[in-house]
Amino acid sequence: MEGKIFVITSGKGGVGKTTATSSIGAALAMAGKRVAVVDMDIGLRNLDVVMGLENRIVFNIVDVVQGKCKLSQAAIKDRRINNLFLIPASQSDNKDILKPEDMVSLGKRLKKEFDIVFMDCPAGIERGFENAVAAADEALVICTPEVSSVRDADRIIGLLYARSITPQLIVNRINPAMTAKGDMLSHEDVTDVLSIDLLGLVEADDNVIVASNLGKPLVMIDDSKAGQAFKRIAMRLDGHVDLPIQVPQNGSSLWRKIGNKLGFK
Amino acid sequence: MLDGIIKKLFGNKKNSSATAKNRLKFALIYDKLEISDEILKNLQHDIVEVISRYFEIDKDALQLNINKSRDLSALTFNTPILSAKEKKRTS
Repeated sequence: MEGKIFVITSGKGGVGKTTATSSIGAALAMAGKRVAVVDMDIGLRNLDVVMGLENRIVFNIVDVVQGKCKLSQAAIKDRRINNLFLIPASQSDNKDILKPEDMVSLGKRLKKEFDIVFMDCPAGIERGFENAVAAADEALVICTPEVSSVRDADRIIGLLYARSITPQLIVNRINPAMTAKGDMLSHEDVTDVLSIDLLGLVEADDNVIVASNLGKPLVMIDDSKAGQAFKRIAMRLDGHVDLPIQVPQNGSSLWRKIGNKLGFK
Repeated sequence: MLDGIIKKLFGNKKNSSATAKNRLKFALIYDKLEISDEILKNLQHDIVEVISRYFEIDKDALQLNINKSRDLSALTFNTPILSAKEKKRTS
C-alpha cells in the first residue's frame, strides 16, 4: 500500500512545528509504522538537532533531488527507535534551490518507501511553504493560543483549502492555569475562530526544552505531558479516531482546590 | 488563585482572553477584505474588456476602487461612456 504525506505547518515561526514533527513521527514509528520526517527548512535546518541526529548527516534532501545520492543514503535511521528516518535539509543552499515539481516527484518516491511521511514546513508562506505543501496529501496546522499565531494559522488554512487540502488543528503550548483564569484563549475560542477540526491539544511543557537539549525524542520522556499529548495525536492519525482529545487541566494544588470549592478561579 | 480572590473582592475585570478573541475576529475579517493590487489590475482589465464590447469608454478616466467602512466593503467602478457600439455581436 502507498504511504501518506502530511505537511506540518503554522505560518508563524516558533510555535512548535519541529517539535510536533519529531514527536508525532517518533510516536508513529514506535507504533510500528515506517516513518520518514523531512526537514523542509532549507538553509535553516533544525529537525536534525531536535532529534539528536545532527552528527550523522552525510547527504540531504537537495542531494536526493539533484540525483547526487540515493534516497536511502540521505535517510538517516534513528538508532533508538526502529523504523524512524530523518531526511535533513541542506544548510548551505537557499530555499529556491528546490521547486514544487521536484517535491511532487520526490513525494512519489517517498510514498513507495514509507508508510507515513511528515514534511516539517518552514515558517512563512513563500517558496519554502510551497515546496513543503506540494506533495502533501494532508496537513496538520499548529498554533499556540495567541492572537498572532491564530491569525497566521487562519491564513495558512486558507492557502491549504485553495490546494484542496482540509487541515486538522493542533493547539500547542496551552497554559491551563492561564486558561482557567481567562487570560489565555481556550481551545474552544481557537477552533471557533478558525472553524477547522481539532486533532489534539498540547500543554506547555519544560520537557520540550530538556528533550531538545538532550537530542532525545520527547515521546521517550515518560512523564512529559506534551510527549503524552503528541502520542495521542499520533494514535488518532493512525486510525484511532475515537481516542478522546484530552484537555490540559490545571494542576490540583491544595490551595487551588480550596479556591475552586469557594468559586474562585 | 490570589488574583481570583482579588478580582472577586474588587469587582470583575474583563478577562484578557475575551479581548484577544474579539481582536482576533476583527483582524481575520479585515485580513480577508484586503485585495492585492494584482487582483485589482486583472479585474479592471477584465471589466474594461467586457464593457468595451458594448460601449466606447474613456479608458484613461475610469476608476476602480474598493471602499471599506466598518461593516461593509464595496467595489465601485466609474467610467465615462463615449458612445454605445452599434455593431451587433456575432455568435
